[in-house]
Amino acid sequence: MVSTNLNEKEIWGWMTEVPDPEIPIINLVELGVIRAVNLKGNAVEIIITPTYTGCPAKQLFVDLISEKLVEKGINDFEVISRIHPVWTTDWLSEETKAKLLKDGISPPTVHNKKIICPHCKSYNTVLASQFGSTPCQSLYKCLECLEPFNYFKCL
Amino acid sequence: MMQIKITNPFAKFLVRIADSEIILGQRLAEMCSNAPTLEEDIALSNLGLDCFGRGEELMKLVSALENNAFTPDDCVFRRNEREYFCIKLVEQPNNDFAWVVVRQFLHDVYVTEIFKQLATNEHQELAALSQKVLKEIEYSKMHSFDWLVRLGRGTEESKMRTQNALNVMWKYTEELFLFDEIDKTYLSDTDAIAANWNLGVNEMFAAADLERPADKKRHILDFRKGFHSEFLGLILADMQYLPRAYPDAKW
Repeated sequence: MVSTNLNEKEIWGWMTEVPDPEIPIINLVELGVIRAVNLKGNAVEIIITPTYTGCPAKQLFVDLISEKLVEKGINDFEVISRIHPVWTTDWLSEETKAKLLKDGISPPTVHNKKIICPHCKSYNTVLASQFGSTPCQSLYKCLECLEPFNYFKCL
Repeated sequence: MMQIKITNPFAKFLVRIADSEIILGQRLAEMCSNAPTLEEDIALSNLGLDCFGRGEELMKLVSALENNAFTPDDCVFRRNEREYFCIKLVEQPNNDFAWVVVRQFLHDVYVTEIFKQLATNEHQELAALSQKVLKEIEYSKMHSFDWLVRLGRGTEESKMRTQNALNVMWKYTEELFLFDEIDKTYLSDTDAIAANWNLGVNEMFAAADLERPADKKRHILDFRKGFHSEFLGLILADMQYLPRAYPDAKW
């Protein structure tokens, strides 16, 4: 049964319960993937945007959102992917970046300059490989503590 | 058998770019576990994903323009060689790591120029996609440029093999600039594409100490009419086997 007093704010709340499949420490709202929640009568429309065009998690975003809606008793819904406006790492808030850093992923910086080591917080770091474990990350190495780490590429 | 007919001129234009991205993606995917180092394996697989992602988004636009008469998957897996419109450059095999790098660089510089002009297209989704692609492809271009400099200025052997790759691939660059009416309808300035591409490759030749092969007039039939090198059929046979043998297969 769909509750009759369903509102968009509540659905936004549910969306914060959907983790990013590759970086589960942050959710899809924090990642900026959920762009809009529209209520059309009892039908729910969720507008999402892909992060990287080649991100293998693109379909997973849709599946996870659908699962969450079904779990909440919503069966009449549509998840629509739109590229405009273009997703950018600028949409990650300072809190989200802090969460990434805490989880061991160096957050994106302007022009990929001044990259911090998530382990010892040194800026004395160097690129090891432009391409890392996911399309959104590069591999870096800290010259202070010598540990390798992932860096979320600026896009 | 399903007939996939692309008749809308805008869709005809977009499918050329989409096909080129899908076929290059397939070529890069073949490198997965075959690259010279683990980092390179990851890098090339990532570049392949980018190509597939772009190709997929473009195919979605193509399907929509054709009133969803077919899906993007149908378009990729159920068209024959002559119904494909990719550039011949991306069909060239992974004979040598230098071939992979040269092919990538020549492609990246070319599509960057195409997407630059599409970034202001009146089709909002295409413009947005192009803006996104431009940011993503910078990483790829940087990667192939760095490798060309390293190989060109590396050992005698690496230089020789890279120059050889360039000499082979060069003949497939001429057709890139033989723009037809369809191209000219959707690209704002086709002359600028050729001019900027030349600037880009010349900068690389200087940085990598490689020689620009001579431009020779050749009679190679145009990809825009569905003519390909001998390799496309083999790629498609590999790529399409499963969906054609098991049309309803899901995973």
